[in-house]
Amino acid sequence: MSDDTILVGAVAYDPKVVTIWEGIRAYFQDQGVRMDFALYSNYERQVESLLRGHIDIAWNTPLAHVLVQQRTSNQSLSLGMRDSDQDFRSKILVRRDAGIKSLSDLEGKTLAVGSRDSTQARILPLHFLRQESVDLDKVNLLAFDTDVGKHGDTGTSEIDVLSALHDGRAQAGAVGDLIWVLEQSAGRIDANVIEVLWTTPPFDHCMFDALPSLAAEKAERFKKALFAMDWNDPRHRHILELEGLKQWMPPREEGYETLRDALRQHGAAR
Amino acid sequence: MSSASVASIAVEGGDLSLGEGLLAIIRPALDLMEPGGVIAVLSCSRQTEEDLSTWCRIERHEFLGCEEISEGKFRHLIRRGSLSVPKGERETALNLPLRDGMLTAADVLAAVPMPERADPATGFAPRGARAEPGGPSFPYTLTERDTVAPPQIAELYDQAVGAQWDATRDIAWDKIRPLPAALETALGQMMTFLAENELSALYLPSKFISQIHPAYAEVAMFLATQLADEARHIDVFLKRARVKGGLGISSATSSRSLLSLLVLTDFTEAAFLLSVLGEGTFLDLLKFIERHAPDEPTFDLARRARADETRHVHFGLAHVRHALAHDDSLYSRLESSVRRRAATLHNVGGVPSAIQDALTILAARGSDPPSVRRGHESFRELLHTMHENRVKRLESAGFTREQAETLSRLHTPNFM
Ligand SMILES: [Fe+2]
Ligand SMILES: [Fe+2]
Repeated sequence: MSDDTILVGAVAYDPKVVTIWEGIRAYFQDQGVRMDFALYSNYERQVESLLRGHIDIAWNTPLAHVLVQQRTSNQSLSLGMRDSDQDFRSKILVRRDAGIKSLSDLEGKTLAVGSRDSTQARILPLHFLRQESVDLDKVNLLAFDTDVGKHGDTGTSEIDVLSALHDGRAQAGAVGDLIWVLEQSAGRIDANVIEVLWTTPPFDHCMFDALPSLAAEKAERFKKALFAMDWNDPRHRHILELEGLKQWMPPREEGYETLRDALRQHGAAR
Repeated sequence: MSSASVASIAVEGGDLSLGEGLLAIIRPALDLMEPGGVIAVLSCSRQTEEDLSTWCRIERHEFLGCEEISEGKFRHLIRRGSLSVPKGERETALNLPLRDGMLTAADVLAAVPMPERADPATGFAPRGARAEPGGPSFPYTLTERDTVAPPQIAELYDQAVGAQWDATRDIAWDKIRPLPAALETALGQMMTFLAENELSALYLPSKFISQIHPAYAEVAMFLATQLADEARHIDVFLKRARVKGGLGISSATSSRSLLSLLVLTDFTEAAFLLSVLGEGTFLDLLKFIERHAPDEPTFDLARRARADETRHVHFGLAHVRHALAHDDSLYSRLESSVRRRAATLHNVGGVPSAIQDALTILAARGSDPPSVRRGHESFRELLHTMHENRVKRLESAGFTREQAETLSRLHTPNFM
C-alpha cells in the first residue's frame, strides 16, 4: 500500500455505512485521490485509533470530535462537516394530555431520553434543561440506552423516545429536530397526541477530525475532493443521500461550545 | 426582514403544523417557483416557525423569517433553493382535441412532440414530465428519434389498438367440418409452420422494447400491440390445426432461418429482416392460404392475420424508410446484413419440403394427380409472386430496382 493513501475511519452504525464508504472511495478514486476506509464498531475505539495514528482522519460525532480536541489539547485539525450538521437543535416534546405548560412542569413527570452518548437526545437537552433551572433530580428519566457506542447515530433511541410518547410511557421526551421534522414530514407523528414544549439553542454535529501531524498536502487533497461532490450529479447523489447531506461544508468550532461546557460540568452523561 | 412584497405567492396554512399536512400546501407552492423565488406561508401557529426553519435547512431552501402581520396571524417567507429543481418546461395549458369524443394517440403526439435526442438519466419519466436531476442513468440504447420513431408511429398504434380481435370468439369454429385425410394433414402442417414463424415474430421485437427510451414510448406501445397480434396468431393457428386433427413437423431449415433472425441485435436491421422481408413475404403466404382455404373459418383467420401483418409491414417500412433518410451508411449496412444471413443459410436448399408439400396439397384440395399438378403450379406461382412483391417493397423502402432484385433473391427460402 502506497504512502499517499488517505485512511479514513468511520463507525459502522448501519449496514449502509459500507455502501456509503465504498461509494466515497470510488468517488475519490475518480478524482485521482487514493483513499481507503476502516470501519469501527464504536466511536471510543475510533478515537483511540486516530490518536495512535492508525488512521489519518476520523469521521466523528460531536462527542467524539470534542473528545479528540480535549485529548490533543485543541491541536487536532477539523476538516469538514455536512450542511446538515450545522444548527442542530433538540426538541422537548410533550403529550398534549400531560398538562405540561412550562419547563418547570416537567418536575414530577417522566421524560424519555435517548442513549447516554447521544448528543441530541440526551447530553445537550439535559444540559440545556439544567441551564433553564429544571431540577433533573425531580424528573423521572426514562432512558433508552440503545446502541451505546454509536453516539446516537442510529436514531434508534430517538425513535424509542417518540414511541414512548405516543403510547404514554412518558409524558415528555427529548429528540433532535432533524428526526422530529423528518418523522413529521413522513407522516409518522400524531399531532393530536404530541406537541413541542421547548426548543434548545443550536449546536453543531459531526466533523472530520485529524491529528495535527497529518501532512498538509494530504489534508488538502482530502478537502478538495470532498467539497467537489455535487448533489445534482447522479454519480454523487446516491452517496450524499445515504449519508444525509446535500453539501459538504468547511468546519466551524463555535457550534461545539455548549457540548464542551456540558462535558466539563457533568462528565460524559447522566 | 424584507417586506412581504418580495413573495410572489402566498399560501394559507391555517393552524396546520408540519405533522398535520402543512407541507402538502407548501411544497406545491415552492414547486411553482424558480430557484430564488419566494413564497409567503400564512399561518396562525407561531410554533410552525421552528419546524419550517428546520425543514428548510434539510431541503436547502432559505427560511427568511417570520413576522406577525396581525393578532395571532404570522407570515413565514421561504426562498426556494437550487437543489433538486426538475429540468425542462412545466407542461401546462394543453388542450387536446376530441374527435367524436375520442382522444387519439396521434393527437397526443402532435401536442407533445418527440425530442430529437433523449437523456438516459430521465429513466421512466414520461415525455413531458420534468425530471428531477440526480436520477440514475438507464441502459437505453435507442435514444435518437430518427433511428427509432417514424413520424406515423402514433397513427399505427391507434389503428392497431382499434383492430384487436379474439381467437376464442371471433372465429366461427363451429363451421369446421372434417376434411379428407391428406388435406387435414397438409393444413395441420401449414398451421404448425405458421405458428413457428409467429413465435419468432413474438420473440424478436420483444428484445428491443427495453432498449427504447420512453421519450419514444409510442414505438414500444406499438410493438406491444404487435406482440399481442403475434400471440393471437400463434393461438389461432394452433387452434385451427387442433380443432380437428393435430400439428405437423418443425423443420431444421425453419429453425436455422429463425435463429438467424432471433440473434439480431440492431433494431433497424431486425425491423428490416423481420418486418419488411419476412412479414412482407408472409402477406403473400397468408393470401395464398385465404385463396385455397378449405373452409370459411380458415379463410377468415388467414384474412384477419394478414390484416394485422399488413400493419407490421407498414411499421417496418416506415421505420426503415425514416432511418434510411437520416443515415447514409444504412443502405450498405442492411445489404450486408441480408448477405450475412444468407451466408449462414448457404446450404439451405429451398422451401422446407414439408411446407412445399402442404402448400401444394392445400392448393390442390386433395391428392389426385391432376389436382396435384394444378396445386404444384400454384405453389410455383406463389414463389414468383413473393419475389415480385418483395422487390416492390424493397423499392418502396428506398432501394434501387437492381439492389432490390439482388436482396430479394438472397432472402431466406423459409419465407421468414
Ligand atoms: Fe403474425
Ligand atoms: Fe407480424
